Amino acid sequence: MSLTLNIPRLETERLILRGPEASDFEAYCAFLTDPVRADGFGVEKDRPKAWRWFALNIGHWALHGYGYFTIEDKESGAPCGLTGIWNPEGWPEPEIGWVVFEGFEGRGIAREAATRARQWAYEDLGMTTLTSNIVPGNDRSIALAERLGARFERSYTNVEMGEDMLYRHPGPEALA
Amino acid sequence: MNMPDARPAHLPANVPVVETPDLILRGYRETDFEALAAFGASERSRFVGGPMDRWASWRALLAGMGHWVLRGHGMWMVEHRETGAVAGRVGVIYNDSWDEPELGWHIFDGFEGRSLAYQACFAARDHAARHMGLDGVISYIAAENTRSRRLAERLGCVHERDGILLDQPCQVWRHPKLAEIAADTKGHADD
Repeated sequence: MSLTLNIPRLETERLILRGPEASDFEAYCAFLTDPVRADGFGVEKDRPKAWRWFALNIGHWALHGYGYFTIEDKESGAPCGLTGIWNPEGWPEPEIGWVVFEGFEGRGIAREAATRARQWAYEDLGMTTLTSNIVPGNDRSIALAERLGARFERSYTNVEMGEDMLYRHPGPEALA
Repeated sequence: MNMPDARPAHLPANVPVVETPDLILRGYRETDFEALAAFGASERSRFVGGPMDRWASWRALLAGMGHWVLRGHGMWMVEHRETGAVAGRVGVIYNDSWDEPELGWHIFDGFEGRSLAYQACFAARDHAARHMGLDGVISYIAAENTRSRRLAERLGCVHERDGILLDQPCQVWRHPKLAEIAADTKGHADD
């Protein structure tokens, strides 16, 4: 039996944004269980917990019709990060998030992928605004949020991450 | 939720529906969440990783949906036909780090002691064996979970060995295969 979700496949110049596939799990697991790299995203303590997160992201797609895409590097075919729209229980509102796996930093992948995901959220999902929740000290993410045109709006306590900063992205009109 | 609601009735969309005289086993709905959260917050969830907060229950619900997509099987919500209430969850769990696919059951408050758990487990096990290629599965049961051990015995399971699940000691019970159940039923009919 196969239960598939109609997750779109989006393209940019160098990247493909697509639904998570079972074969992506090792790359997700390496990232999610890395206490340094996943610190601003949500660290999972071991492989079983990472698998649960992998499954729950797919469940997020089933429930909301959106979630985290796997970012695939067109040239190598390797999964090189995540970007997408996230809105679990307790979240203030839907956010756009991004993560780049080890070995793929410094190439503008997060920016290229997040720009495409944001466009998809506005044009295809009909969202009218988007936020990004960033933990204090995650300077790389703050810098990217600002390059994407997002502005700091307020601090709040996030159900998973604790003290968190909410950035607001420009809406669809401002980007048009 | 700021999305137009064109979603399927069950999540994921094509989880099979299994019916028994008193129960409907079906895929998840977002409206099941409060019942799942209430179970998760209660002492009843102590043998399945709880008690847990709403956030953890939410993650469990989403992971349950994703499990179906990744594995082609998973846990059903058990709906009580007469009242429409959700009575629990039952089905096959095969998370990463499990030795093999497991039949699991979570019975919600108020639905114990009425043979509903037996009915749900029997139907789920039968469906998994006939349609999912999962015949003769195991169940992980904590040694001190006497209610679940009694139910396993009633289902014809045998205590096969002791094992470890997520760093916790537990018992591994083996379910009979379809052919064994059929032979057993025939034996009784011949009595």
